[in-house]
Amino acid sequence: MAFDDDDQDLVVYGTPIEREEDISARKRRAVADAGQLRALPAWKQEVRDEEGRRRFHGAFTGGFSAGFYNTAGSKEGWTPQTFTSSRKSRAEHKKQSIYNFLDEEDIKDMGGNALETSQQYDTFGFTAAEHARKQASKEQSERPSAIPGPVPDELVVPGTTSIGVKLLMKMGWRQGRTIKDAHADSLYESRREARKAFLALSGISNVEDQDQIASHTSRMDENVAESFDKIRASGNTPVYVLHPKEDLHGLGFDPFKHAPEFKDRKRLQKSLNRDGNRSDISMRGNLLLSNSGQYAPGFGIGALEELDVEDEDIYASVFSGFSYEQTEVDIEPSKTIGDSKFKLEDRRRGVFLTFKMALNSEYKLERFHPPEIPADFDGHHKFSSPIQAADKFSDLAPPEVPPPEDATLRLLVEGCAAMVARCGKRIEDFYKEKSKASPQFLFLDGGDGCGYYTRKLWEHQQKFIDQQKPDIVKSKPSSEKLTAENRGKILGERPLDRSSKSSSSSFSAKDAVQLQSNLGDTFVKPISLDAVPESKKPFRNEPAKQARFEQFLKEKYQGGLRLANLVPTSTMSEADRARERLDFEAAADAIEKGKEYKAIDPFSILGLPGLNEQRFVSSTQLESSVVPRDEKPAYPQREEFEWRPSPILCKRFDIVDPFMGKPMPLRRPISKMDTLMFMTESTKKTNDDVDSSSRTLQHASVSGTEETEAQGTADNPDIVSSSMQRPVDLYKAIFSDDSDDDMDEPLNNQPVDPVKTSEGANMALNRLVAEDFLESLGKELGLDVPPEKPALPANALFRSEILPMADRTVSSRNGKTTICRELKENESNLGLVEAANAQEDGPSSNVETLDLKCEKQEHRAEEGRSHSSHHQIQNCSPDSDTSVERHRSRKRRSHHRIQSEMSDSDSSSERRRSKKRKSRSRHRTGRIRTPDADSSCDSQKNKRKRQEKRSHRTRDTDSSDHEYKERYTSSSRRSSDKDRSRKRSRHRSHRRKDPA
Amino acid sequence: MSSSATAAAHQLPRSESRTLSGHEGAVLAVRFNNDGNYCLSCGKDRTLRLWNPHTGAHVKTYKSHAREVRDVNSSSDNAKLVSCGADRQIFYWDVASGRVIRKFRGHNSEVNSVKFNEYNTVVVSAGYDRTARAFDCRSHNSDPIQTIDTFQDSVMSVNVTNTEIIAGSVDGTVRTFDIRMGRETVDNLGHPVNCISLSNDRNCLLANCLDSTVRLLDKTSGEMLQEYKGHICKSFKMDCCLTNDDAFVVGGSEDGFVYFWELVDAPIVASFRAHSSVVTSISYHPTKNCMLTSSVDGTVRVWT
Repeated sequence: MAFDDDDQDLVVYGTPIEREEDISARKRRAVADAGQLRALPAWKQEVRDEEGRRRFHGAFTGGFSAGFYNTAGSKEGWTPQTFTSSRKSRAEHKKQSIYNFLDEEDIKDMGGNALETSQQYDTFGFTAAEHARKQASKEQSERPSAIPGPVPDELVVPGTTSIGVKLLMKMGWRQGRTIKDAHADSLYESRREARKAFLALSGISNVEDQDQIASHTSRMDENVAESFDKIRASGNTPVYVLHPKEDLHGLGFDPFKHAPEFKDRKRLQKSLNRDGNRSDISMRGNLLLSNSGQYAPGFGIGALEELDVEDEDIYASVFSGFSYEQTEVDIEPSKTIGDSKFKLEDRRRGVFLTFKMALNSEYKLERFHPPEIPADFDGHHKFSSPIQAADKFSDLAPPEVPPPEDATLRLLVEGCAAMVARCGKRIEDFYKEKSKASPQFLFLDGGDGCGYYTRKLWEHQQKFIDQQKPDIVKSKPSSEKLTAENRGKILGERPLDRSSKSSSSSFSAKDAVQLQSNLGDTFVKPISLDAVPESKKPFRNEPAKQARFEQFLKEKYQGGLRLANLVPTSTMSEADRARERLDFEAAADAIEKGKEYKAIDPFSILGLPGLNEQRFVSSTQLESSVVPRDEKPAYPQREEFEWRPSPILCKRFDIVDPFMGKPMPLRRPISKMDTLMFMTESTKKTNDDVDSSSRTLQHASVSGTEETEAQGTADNPDIVSSSMQRPVDLYKAIFSDDSDDDMDEPLNNQPVDPVKTSEGANMALNRLVAEDFLESLGKELGLDVPPEKPALPANALFRSEILPMADRTVSSRNGKTTICRELKENESNLGLVEAANAQEDGPSSNVETLDLKCEKQEHRAEEGRSHSSHHQIQNCSPDSDTSVERHRSRKRRSHHRIQSEMSDSDSSSERRRSKKRKSRSRHRTGRIRTPDADSSCDSQKNKRKRQEKRSHRTRDTDSSDHEYKERYTSSSRRSSDKDRSRKRSRHRSHRRKDPA
Repeated sequence: MSSSATAAAHQLPRSESRTLSGHEGAVLAVRFNNDGNYCLSCGKDRTLRLWNPHTGAHVKTYKSHAREVRDVNSSSDNAKLVSCGADRQIFYWDVASGRVIRKFRGHNSEVNSVKFNEYNTVVVSAGYDRTARAFDCRSHNSDPIQTIDTFQDSVMSVNVTNTEIIAGSVDGTVRTFDIRMGRETVDNLGHPVNCISLSNDRNCLLANCLDSTVRLLDKTSGEMLQEYKGHICKSFKMDCCLTNDDAFVVGGSEDGFVYFWELVDAPIVASFRAHSSVVTSISYHPTKNCMLTSSVDGTVRVWT
């Protein structure tokens, strides 16, 4: 439903609020209890924690609520234990700590105040060594080994520190500190130097790494070296680090000069690559396994020193969150020099880091040009068959020559020419051969009568070709593919002007217009139907009528689409026109029948036996029968649109805002098609039948009794929906039953044409194909497609001038139409009462002064709405809006879960509804109200009886409403296909009916 | 024609009682005030003038417009004026002081017509920029509170009833915007509409079309009730109106004539030469048999 549509473009930020069910039951209970507790006297209150448990509470924090009932879980609070110790069973010496008395929450409250020893903090490295030893022994015990006992390697534990380090330590040096006096002025400088050096080394040695290092006894030596390195690095002497040269760069060239971050990534990668000989490299790998951003955090800074701004790792903040693309590192070729693959790659990229491309290479690609085509070659094979030869001749007609005087010669020439024409050039050659002997055939070689011969020959050839051509056409297999041109020809299309096709795919507005106009007259009369024979002039006595009839016929059999600007002009009234149309239809049928005897089927002439009759003729018939148009528009024409006055304007005019300040429903186009459809609809605004029906309705309602009025309004939604587009049809197919259609029929004033209805359902299917195609084509081209009466633009914004807006506003039409459908069911029940009341009150309320109470105003708005629904016309927006409201609110009150049916369930409507409800409650306290009574027409001269009656009735509809919906949604889905097709065919049959 | 109608026809204002001259250049519009005691005229000389047509006294001149003044209307309490013109502005005047209280801006080009609403709270204007705009007189906001831009061409004339805004446009339509119902009714007449005026019972619409035809429409149904022909109206914006008893249709002509048609059957009851040149505007007294005409020749004539 519409709800899903909303979901599609819903963007959710943040975490959703937890639903209540998710909170633990206990907690919920606690919350619930909390409210109750407050009401209880103090001695009855029980303190529970946030999980709802009764807990010892406040004992240590001196809580005032500590005590028996309030706090402890038992009567005693906490049970005192007896101390027993005997000889046999010695009492264990229990060491009690505060933790024995605290639960997790309390501990949490204490924060991180607990004291612990840390393995990490290892000032002298002894713990690390010890740890390493333990680890080794553990490893050894775990390891399956042939030789029991420790491996000698593991046994030999080298001294953790060299003598120098030991000395230094004795002198008070600690690892991680400079040798220099900590308080010297140059401390800062040296630190920076150290860091720089370290950057160059790009190693790390934070405490963790050290641990790691220590853990591998086999790497102890390196560890020592590392620590020395560190000593030196942290000293004021910069360390000169030796790198083995592994790359192909020139000496001293550092590709990462300005991007050190990439450097150690590179190295890391390299070390990973060489996983094979891990044993000696792994250390380095470990060393370099710096997290690319963090450069030795804390290195070079004493434990007691504070971090300066400069000491903070500037890269850490920027880059720690990033992981760089590895490809960038690839710039440096990591393989050996001889690797041709990289060379190629580099060459391709044009980035050859160390070498430049030679300007002129000796290696050249040799190219071979294709063979030259002779200038006189034209690429067509010439056949010397007689027909071709004839064709060649046929182009240029030789001059007319008087026949020679000699009768025999003339005969001979003519006969010969005929022969040659029929049999081809060969016979001429043959004659020529002959003529050498006999002088009679001299004309062949330019003798007497030569001119005459050529002329005659040409004539015969022409004749021959003419004879053959139709044969050729006929001989073509009928199963041949129907090309677009063929079809066009059959349909009577005029080929498009080539010039009108713009080469670029994007049309400018002007082009589009041009194209449209071109397409408009693309469709011309089909062959053989141009003239109506004299016998087919049934209205000979009335020339004007006959002209109109011919026009009608033309339109009826005209292929494809109608010209867009054909609007009825004649001053005939609607009824007259409709009657005349009926006459025309009958006459046309008669003519059609007469034609069948003669078998002048335009399509059979073309050798396409009856292929199109079903598809095309019938569909065009349908179209023409629905909206036959006179050629000139009849003025004045009236249309209505929705228009939204601004709230302030309403206020200044002292009028209740008909839309209650509700903004335009936000509409999105469901597809691009929709916008296009509306474009065309807004430009074309002649809705004859709808108009007429509405007018008659109005008429009826003005004059008629209450009953007719009610009928009229009840039917109104029908007109609305029937005037809608395809979606409505679909919905109609789904949601309506036969009774609805029965209501439609008399309304449209289209009696059933018996002949047409007898056409079977199989025809309908065929028609559907063709019609849908034509229809969609028409819509796409922005032309008017007659049979579907457009749902008129729901408001002014749909007008073509404001096209940019249109797409926004158009959209939710679908949603609306569905509502219209649903509405219908309700309305047909409710409408009776509502409309009757609304009508009654219509004129009087006009005069009413406006300084009445709220209720009165509301009534007025309501009345206005119903009034406008009476006017109904093409769009249903305000009505449907309000009725949706009605519908919705009704539903809500009946405690059914509703999915919001409209896509624009905007907040304002909500607001409005709530406002409505509020005002209602304000004004009508004490009165019993059914949901609809208020919205329908509270206004009325509140006759109790009537209201009660109404309330009964509406309550009924209320419940039935749901049944309806459920039934439809369940059943329709199952048989929607069947339904649709059935529906469609039914629809067609409707359309074929003529207005009486 | 019935005898009573003939009698009424004899009472039609045909004799010139006064000429109000003062405007330099064409007078584009002349309007009685609400009670018919005074009249206002405006013209190409960029002024508005207030007259007493019954005595011929020129009461006041209002100057502020930068270009020609095309239309003027007085509020129902006769305290305020509103005028519009080619300077794209709408001036809201205080009658007594002759000062501009407010200027309403918003139109993008010339403003053709302007009207007060019933309560003098809103000024509705129609302009060459294909819009009709409503301005709020109560607030200090000079921007329109509503812009109606559904017209396809210049909007020539606008009328305001207590619930509707009715405007005629060169696109051939008369559009009725019903504020109460939120509905726009478009009556396409097929010919450019020059001027629209309402019958006094507010049920009919008179539209002066550029095909030299005045058309009478039923406002509720949109049906054409009658066409009035005989005058020339092809290129000028000319007014037409109904007499105060709705018995006759009055229209000017480009040849300086004034025509009276009988409402129902549309015969020309009377016609006379009122001006030497185009009759631009006609205003009929709300109660008396008195009529004002204005012309390109720079005069306003009072007919009784």
